[in-house]
Amino acid sequence: MADDRKNVIDMDGSRVDDDHLLSMYIDNELDAERTIALVLRLRAEPALRTRLNALEANERLIRKVVARNTHAAPDRLAAMLRAENVVVMGLSARLKRWGGAAVAASAAAVLAVVFNVNQSIVFNPMAMDVQLASALEHSPSAASGWQALDGDRGFRSVLTFPAADGRWCREFLMAQSETQWRGVACRDNGQWVNQVVGSEVFLEQETQYRPAGAADSEKVARFIDETATDVALGPQQESALIASGW
Amino acid sequence: MASLTAQQREELIEELPRLKRYCFSLTSDPTDADDLLQITVERLLEKGMPEDAHVAKWSHRVCRNLWIDEIRSRDVRNRYALSESAADGAGTTAANTDDSVQLDRVSEAMERLPPEQRAALVKVAVEGCSYAEAAALLEVPIGTIMSRVARARKALAEDLEWSEEREA
Repeated sequence: MADDRKNVIDMDGSRVDDDHLLSMYIDNELDAERTIALVLRLRAEPALRTRLNALEANERLIRKVVARNTHAAPDRLAAMLRAENVVVMGLSARLKRWGGAAVAASAAAVLAVVFNVNQSIVFNPMAMDVQLASALEHSPSAASGWQALDGDRGFRSVLTFPAADGRWCREFLMAQSETQWRGVACRDNGQWVNQVVGSEVFLEQETQYRPAGAADSEKVARFIDETATDVALGPQQESALIASGW
Repeated sequence: MASLTAQQREELIEELPRLKRYCFSLTSDPTDADDLLQITVERLLEKGMPEDAHVAKWSHRVCRNLWIDEIRSRDVRNRYALSESAADGAGTTAANTDDSVQLDRVSEAMERLPPEQRAALVKVAVEGCSYAEAAALLEVPIGTIMSRVARARKALAEDLEWSEEREA
């Protein structure tokens, strides 16, 4: 390449070298005047032509590499997007790879505090009561909306799934004031029993989140791993199950 | 902003292939790209987006933020060790075809690019975005895209030249 011509092209106040110029030429981003000037140089300067050929050859390889590594997006993602009532399961493999971020970004959202209800002596706003048990017994899962319970609480079932031990379990959300909790309750001998509960911290900006601490993430992941199979009920199945009295 | 509208879901489905390539451009690892795409979609389903949001820009932003958080949470030393191990192994694949070796070499060179350069390069060189389109999606000035793409090409060319000279 003609080194004596490097860094002499002024474009929009920026000085660019020949590689920048060639890059813009490859991308068809040069205006007509600069394109003509470059074409004339390419005819006159074999080194510049060679450099362009090398960059274009790399370009073809780059496309091959990306194509090789990015097969079609999984159909399940499109299916998830088409589903009216979204069910997100099977987190364990990704949780192992992504640690806290995966939990924070998954349906489990951001769990700042997680504790075992049956073992904790901490005040537990989601202790099972008649209203919560009734909601778990009768309310279908939904992607949005809240069912009002007493104490200014809002309830939403997120999904229903069979536990490995044969019990039916429901993941649900509870909101009170500005705090939300996410929990899983399982139906045990006709009674709903909370299994794990975590308070959630949502940041104001919807595109940002704060990853949970590693310990919290592991507790949630462990619970899901130990409890859920990878099949959650669809809306019709869940509706039929509720109607049958579980 | 609790959920996606039907229109947004359709647009997002259309966007999935490009979003997947963007994931790969960020992670430079196919498996990580799959994971990143998955949690991006889950995140969008869970949090939704404003009704007037540009679906492609919004989804790219969510994806980018998730990846930034992932980078922060990773053990850098472990990642470095893995990449060193992979680099060591690359020299032992003499049985591969020339084409495969060449692609591996390009793939490794791409992996060594700064993620922001790699993302700009994939948007422009692979997806065919104009600088203006790439700038809008990645939310940086057009001049930044121009610069990142040119520097990425230059770095790749030098990396590959050096790699060929070393093996010659």
